[in-house]
Amino acid sequence: MSLAISYIANSLLILCLVTSIIQSRFLFKIQNYNFLSISQISAIQFLSILVSFFILLFLFITSDFNFDLVYFHSHSEKPLIYKLSGVWGNHEGSMLLWILILVLFNFLFSLSKSSSQKFKEITVAVQSLMIFGFVLFLLLLSNPFNINNENFNDGLGLNPILQDPLLAIHPPILYIGYVGFSLIFSLSITGLLTSEVDKKWATVAKPWVFAAWSFLTAGIALGSYWAYYELGWGGYWFWDPVENASLMPWLSGTALIHCVVVLQRRNTMQSWTMVLAILTFSLSLAGTFLVRSGVLNSVHTFASDPGRGLFILIFLFIILSSSFLLFALKSEKINKPSLHNISSRNTGIMVNNWLLISILVVVFLGTMYPLATDLLYNQSLTVGPQYYAISITPIIILFLFFMILSPQLSWEESKLLKILNEMRYILISCLTITFLTTLYFDLFNFTEILIIFLSLILIISSLSSGLNFKSTKVIVKSNFGQSIAHAGFGIFMLAVVSNAVYSQEKIYDAKVGSKLQLDEYIFDFKNIEQEEKDNFNSIRAYLSLSKNGKDLGEFSPEIRFYSDPPTITSETSIIHRFFSDVYVVMNVPQNQESISLRLHIKPFMNILWLGVIMIILGGIITAILNRKKNEENAIN
Amino acid sequence: MTDTVKKRLIKFLASLIIFGIAILIIVYNLRDNIVYFYSPSEIIENNHTGSQIVRLGGLVESESVVSDGDSIFHFKITDGQEQISVKYQGILPNLFAEEKGVVVEGIYMNDGRFIANKVLAKHDENYMPPEVIKSLKETGKWQE
Repeated sequence: MSLAISYIANSLLILCLVTSIIQSRFLFKIQNYNFLSISQISAIQFLSILVSFFILLFLFITSDFNFDLVYFHSHSEKPLIYKLSGVWGNHEGSMLLWILILVLFNFLFSLSKSSSQKFKEITVAVQSLMIFGFVLFLLLLSNPFNINNENFNDGLGLNPILQDPLLAIHPPILYIGYVGFSLIFSLSITGLLTSEVDKKWATVAKPWVFAAWSFLTAGIALGSYWAYYELGWGGYWFWDPVENASLMPWLSGTALIHCVVVLQRRNTMQSWTMVLAILTFSLSLAGTFLVRSGVLNSVHTFASDPGRGLFILIFLFIILSSSFLLFALKSEKINKPSLHNISSRNTGIMVNNWLLISILVVVFLGTMYPLATDLLYNQSLTVGPQYYAISITPIIILFLFFMILSPQLSWEESKLLKILNEMRYILISCLTITFLTTLYFDLFNFTEILIIFLSLILIISSLSSGLNFKSTKVIVKSNFGQSIAHAGFGIFMLAVVSNAVYSQEKIYDAKVGSKLQLDEYIFDFKNIEQEEKDNFNSIRAYLSLSKNGKDLGEFSPEIRFYSDPPTITSETSIIHRFFSDVYVVMNVPQNQESISLRLHIKPFMNILWLGVIMIILGGIITAILNRKKNEENAIN
Repeated sequence: MTDTVKKRLIKFLASLIIFGIAILIIVYNLRDNIVYFYSPSEIIENNHTGSQIVRLGGLVESESVVSDGDSIFHFKITDGQEQISVKYQGILPNLFAEEKGVVVEGIYMNDGRFIANKVLAKHDENYMPPEVIKSLKETGKWQE
């Protein structure tokens, strides 16, 4: 039975391999095969991978331990949802998920009507060539359908730390983002091959690039939120190599979405857009696979296998070198002379592009430096978070400034004095608010005050530019997505700075019955209980929180002892208040009398997540609005 | 040299200089914020005492963990050859245990003690920090 399933699944993968070769025929000018249309073959590609993905899901649900992957990464006692997420909680399965999304994007694009037939053919061909490479990699080096001849009674994969609902949906969302950029890459290669990188190209690419970017943003945010509540260290971003690996494509992707807009509106910045598209996809590839292959050493890494890392490096090298070679040959042809004034919106966007790339360079050096010293000098080291804070802060201040200025500039030419005059009310009110906040909260750090001031202007000016307040009703303008995302970034920066300044933590060795204090909050340590659950024992502490005599809720932090495999996890307990999160982490009790508790006050966390949600929403709104516009244009 | 070529050359050189300065600032900043990793043998051999924050990794020696209340812990980290006494105030990670791998971050004092302000531990009970594996291999104490 298992053998038959393995056989079927492998055949499906080979079917996808064959159809991908057929699809890539347009690259080699073989046109005389017209048995099935492109979208029909794309449908076969998609279905073959979809079915094999469902087979893998089925194997995990039924706990078929004859398959190596199920044996190593699942367990019969796992709850159903974690059996499902176990499919992509390992290298082979996550590769299959990656390919599934790759063929899905290919299929969706083959159905779209926004581009010409020839353009579509070549794009699908490029995309299929990549699908071919990845499916080959899956079949040869990380086949999820390998079977063993032992009769194992149960699996090995019951790691409780990975049993978390957020961690279950985090990889698919992140992958949709990463893989979405593969389509942008294929579109760019097609644009270069046909020398058609213009307004029309940007119009076709825009909804896809915004969708991919939104998903990538959401994926990073989910990972960050998971780290915030699960790791219990009080932070939401650790400049860990794995986090950096997802931040790098986000930075170049953010630059890219702005370039695509410029290209669509002004028909300029062709070369730069192509460079960013290639760079973003390369970084996405490096991000996923260097993480999964364990080259980057971090809290998130699963297992390491140098062979796979090598394959990915070779693949990456081929993609990078061939696409940049193509770019070098074609860049003269695609570039149109740009005729824009220095004080136009192009300039503002270009400056911020460079600032984003500067941040990217900072993150890249910080991530790669330890790898380099380890390889060259056999010296292990880590780069402290201070490096990132010191290097990025000045860039962010300039970035905020140009983020406020650029949308106020017109595409043609603007007078700076006129803009200053138009913005006078916003500037004065923000200056007043900042001044009052500074006094009220005793702020004296100039950098912090400056960032708060700029963020406030950004929030207000962005919101007022996206909405038109007529006497009775509010009209949503076409740049609504942009204004929501920009305001969201302002809110995010405001929260990041305030959080960094006002976070507090304290560790107590506490006895039951004692009252602990942090800032104005009183923690009443009421009780401690031991409980036996299905697959773990737990120790739970109960505390109630009050401020100025007002009851604010109960904490119940917990330590769980799992027996199989022997693992201890701690569950943080968080009370979300509007302006700050209060949270408690407990330690494994070392003696009977007292217990170590760590108390945190994290201000503005809700506001921080609100900002992130607005950024994501802004991206999605832009993608949808643009898609609608495209369809209307196609009909007319 | 025509005017356009001149202009291009100036543009190119200007951006090269700006880019070079930016990279220099970043790297300079990077070198200031590096935390080196040492094994007990290395830290004793090179005598890395002082105010610089470093990381120390190895195995927690068996029967060396003592707690004296107020969340203060004393334990020894060994790589099979040398051992270093560590003092740490705070919450120990869940996976901290005797004879398991550990990495601490802090300052190595002149008197040979290590004052840690962070104890790092990983998710998996079988996980061993790669740096620790490397240093155990170098002293021949690593067992597969």
